[in-house]
Amino acid sequence: MKLFDARALRLIAAGLVLINGFFPALWILLSSLKTEAELVSKPISYWPQNPTLANYVRAFNDQPLPHYLLNSALVAIGSTLLSLAVATLAAYAIARLNLKRRQLILTCIVASSMFPLVTLLVPIFETMRTLGLLNTYTALILPYTVLNLPVCTLVLVSFFQGIPRDLENAAMIDGCTRLGALWRVVLPLAAPGVFTAGILAFVNAWDEFLLALSLNSSAAMRTLPVGITLYQGEFAFPWPIISAALIVAIVPVAVLIALFQERVVGGLTQGGLKG
Amino acid sequence: MTKQGWLDRLRDPSEKTLGLLLLAPAFALLALIVVYPIGRLIFNSFYDLRLSGGGGAKFVGLENYALVWADADFWNATRNTVLITVITVPGALVVGLALALLANLPFKRQWPVRLALLLPWALPLSFAGLIFAWFFHTEYGVVNDLLRRVGLTEPTMWLLRPPLAMAAICLTIIWKTSSFMALILLAGLQMIPKSLYEAAEVDGASRWQQFWAITIPMLMPSIVVALIFRTITALQTFDIPYTMTKGGPGNATETLAMLIHKTTIDYLDLGYGSTLAVCMFVLSMLVTALYLRRVGQSA
Repeated sequence: MKLFDARALRLIAAGLVLINGFFPALWILLSSLKTEAELVSKPISYWPQNPTLANYVRAFNDQPLPHYLLNSALVAIGSTLLSLAVATLAAYAIARLNLKRRQLILTCIVASSMFPLVTLLVPIFETMRTLGLLNTYTALILPYTVLNLPVCTLVLVSFFQGIPRDLENAAMIDGCTRLGALWRVVLPLAAPGVFTAGILAFVNAWDEFLLALSLNSSAAMRTLPVGITLYQGEFAFPWPIISAALIVAIVPVAVLIALFQERVVGGLTQGGLKG
Repeated sequence: MTKQGWLDRLRDPSEKTLGLLLLAPAFALLALIVVYPIGRLIFNSFYDLRLSGGGGAKFVGLENYALVWADADFWNATRNTVLITVITVPGALVVGLALALLANLPFKRQWPVRLALLLPWALPLSFAGLIFAWFFHTEYGVVNDLLRRVGLTEPTMWLLRPPLAMAAICLTIIWKTSSFMALILLAGLQMIPKSLYEAAEVDGASRWQQFWAITIPMLMPSIVVALIFRTITALQTFDIPYTMTKGGPGNATETLAMLIHKTTIDYLDLGYGSTLAVCMFVLSMLVTALYLRRVGQSA
């Protein structure tokens, strides 16, 4: 005797997971389509009565939202490219070269990510201030690169180790230097790994809040998380504009992970260390 | 050794030289962003270093540490941080495990369920805080509306009452972090050989017995990894309380990270901020070490 048949059980299970995952974003989407008058009417409405894009128009025209988007994109792309470049070199050395203490080197790089970032906030703020880098893209790109180094290195080391050495040796017999072989043979084969590491790094950088808030707080240099959060203090009733801005900020990353979900999950379980 | 030889060596260096060259950028960045700051942090913690007051740094020895010891705000923030950690880490594990078990059922299409786990992970913590602050809005929040429908006519002031604000923050953190937990545990679940369950079935074990005798022990390595990372990040909690309550009401939900941020960035008191950061670092290392020992024993 069975309480539920398997199909009904699966449907309930899927429903729970889907509601848990999508309801918050869906609610914000619905809120963003309501007029301000509807948002402050009681009892609250669930479905927008007169769907409108007015909140989006306000977010784009009256507020520097496009600027925040640009800042976030530049910082995230810049730090992703830089961490991939640095991690590729380091991971190749760890995976391929005949080095003593290679395990220790990898541990050092990974352990740096265990270090509570907030405790480094004071000296990083001080350093950037001394170097005159506060409110510049560099102030965020450098720390984000370090933040992503462990994930990128771990993912890339495991990819490099999966590529047969014979291919490299053959290239070197044909006259390639070691670095030439890395560039022409190993990297193209490891492209999926580079890509996975890149997505993880991008999402991490796109999401970061504490450093962005502390180092780049001037209105022109805010990233999306900082800019949208600070709407709270700037408006008496900020929720119409916050919900529209949130949807604009969520969509790029949502599309990215929807397109590449298998790679993201694979990369996460290999070495993505983000909660 | 001629110049030619030196150039040749640069073009095709020995393994050791090449290794050093390849690792140099990584270590240079780590030196700039991690190692030097740690030194600077410890150095600062012995100084009176206020950027707002003008004057330079003044050596004060252990005075800052004595101030921290007597600082009620520090102990309040420590208490809140530890409270958030002990509530949200097990909370996220339980919810994450439930999500992983549900998501592991044999669905015809895997992607909607997988995306439902990935989306909360990819969402910035600060956005989760904003979304849930809107959920918990006293007048127009969906939470109070649902409560009204079941008969609670008086709206609850979620973010304005200390214990309720803490509860709302913890709930938000659990929601946000449980999906990462679920993804790690789901990967672990998928590696358990089906034959174990088939054998247990033959022996007449119930689903419940199978869960405790097969699933949990086989999942233990994934659980330990997920718990360690979750604990380390929970101790650094900043974004969600900052976006939901800014530490309020009063400083009822202020965490150590928020106190350090306020002292350093808002008050520009780098000396005292550094001392707080050193204390927080010691605390988080202590918790992590204790935790690793406990988890190591039980695993």
